[in-house]
Amino acid sequence: MNSADTKKWYYMLPIISIAILLGGWMLVAQGEGSMIPTPYATLMRFLDICVHPISKAVLPVHMWMSLKRVLIAFVFAIVLGIGLGVGLGWSTSFHAFADPVFEILRPIPPIAWIPLVILWCGIGELPKVVIVFIGSFVPIVLNTYSGIKEIDSLLINAGLVLGANRRQLLTEITLPATTPAILAGIRTALSSGWMCVVAAEMIAAKQGVGFLIVRGQESGDTALIVACMLVIGVVSLLLSTILSKLEGVLCPWQFSKTK
Amino acid sequence: MAVLKNKISLKNISKTFYLKDRTVEVLKDITFDVKENEFLVLLGPGQCGKTVMLNIMADLEKQTSGAIEFDGSRPTMGDLGVVFQKYALFPWKTVIGNVEMNQKLKGVDKETRRAKAREYINLVGLQGFESSLPKQLSGGMKQRVGIARAYASESDIMLMDEPFGALDAQTRYQMEDEIIKIWEKNKRTIVFVTNNVEEAVYLGDRILLLASRPSYIKKEYIVDLPRPRSQTDRAFLELRNEIVENTDLDI
Ligand SMILES: Nc1ncnc2c1ncn2[C@@H]1O[C@H](COP(=O)(O)OP(=O)(O)OP(=O)(O)O)[C@@H](O)[C@H]1O
Ligand SMILES: [Mg+2]
Repeated sequence: MNSADTKKWYYMLPIISIAILLGGWMLVAQGEGSMIPTPYATLMRFLDICVHPISKAVLPVHMWMSLKRVLIAFVFAIVLGIGLGVGLGWSTSFHAFADPVFEILRPIPPIAWIPLVILWCGIGELPKVVIVFIGSFVPIVLNTYSGIKEIDSLLINAGLVLGANRRQLLTEITLPATTPAILAGIRTALSSGWMCVVAAEMIAAKQGVGFLIVRGQESGDTALIVACMLVIGVVSLLLSTILSKLEGVLCPWQFSKTK
Repeated sequence: MAVLKNKISLKNISKTFYLKDRTVEVLKDITFDVKENEFLVLLGPGQCGKTVMLNIMADLEKQTSGAIEFDGSRPTMGDLGVVFQKYALFPWKTVIGNVEMNQKLKGVDKETRRAKAREYINLVGLQGFESSLPKQLSGGMKQRVGIARAYASESDIMLMDEPFGALDAQTRYQMEDEIIKIWEKNKRTIVFVTNNVEEAVYLGDRILLLASRPSYIKKEYIVDLPRPRSQTDRAFLELRNEIVENTDLDI
């Protein structure tokens, strides 16, 4: 194969895989009373909920509710997570002080916090934001911390030799060197945050995509469930693409492919 | 030769690492002087403790015993030019960002330090690459940045740790000529570490031959050959052979 053909082939492959997925889906959805909606039924349901509200909101509004919860929690998780991670990695005494508590709380799955958080914060916006915060805070702390721990000591030596004081060593050398690790943490936090928001909404919410999925379950509306799941997938993909762009802008030395 | 001022004096420097399960004696009673504006080469086999010795001189590591004296007071951090064995460039900084780092850390304003950095980028022949990232450069160019960055701290002492060790032979010859040119244009006291005998004889005013670990100074050679030197010159080869006969094998 010449290189132009190879290129064409690489464009074809994703189309083929999606076609196979759709074909398989159509096949299993066939027949009367199947518990799986057909692609066509799912698409129609999707268009329907985009214009006809469920629980006083159309699909884009539900999506926006979920997204808003994730984004608000994310801002806090990024600021506090990087702060705690830097503290743990930078200061030996702070590490000795805070690490045991963090290590005990860290392995608890964020979803396990849902009942307690609902009891504490009621059923408004706050509990969902708190759950997402817990889910996205931990990976950011861990990545920031290990990024600082694993920094090449040669770069630290170079900084010292060039005259960096302790503060400059942090701001001029350590933090830039750790940015790729922090971004990796943010990426993990994003998927964890999505998981948490959907879970929290499934348990207690009047709006949001997680709520829609539960509504679908209660009314036996499988098309609604599948439509919501696909929308979640697409939106996550979109966010992850935005994040990749951001990585290229923030650390061109690590992520951009210019040679 | 005229009597030259001593720039650095190492007196009975020893270094032992005390690890959990063993102790590693690396340097054993090392005493030598570095003269002002000389090109001193420390030549030693692999793993003999050359990097440890430079780190002690740069105050990145503490000796177990012995003392170092500098002409005047000890240069503070940031007042010593160091070129690292593995480049140690900041990958997130452009060429000019790396070269200006010392001045930036000292709080020099942007315009002044950029002008200074450009001067040293020109000195190492990297004009036109100011805004490239290290990953876009070849090994030889990276080490030119390392040299420019060290020169830009405007210290009169330069410590260079096998700066050309990672380069291919062709680039290495080029860089050896280059470093002599730079040194002749901009005289400083250079302590240059290498494990390569030809490189030592090609560059040094004086060579200190180190033994393998625990390392001590086995012998001193004065290289009384005019520059530019030729590696096929008879006197060159004689000195080279003499040194090779006295050299310990790598550990
Ligand atoms: N921090 C340390 N702790 C324990 N041992 C060390 C430490 N630093 C260096 N050493 C040991 O000291 C010895 C000398 O190391 P050094 O890096 O100075 O050698 P070198 O002469 O620079 O070698 P090379 O030619 O490979 O650069 C090595 O055996 C190394 O294992
Ligand atoms: Mg070394």
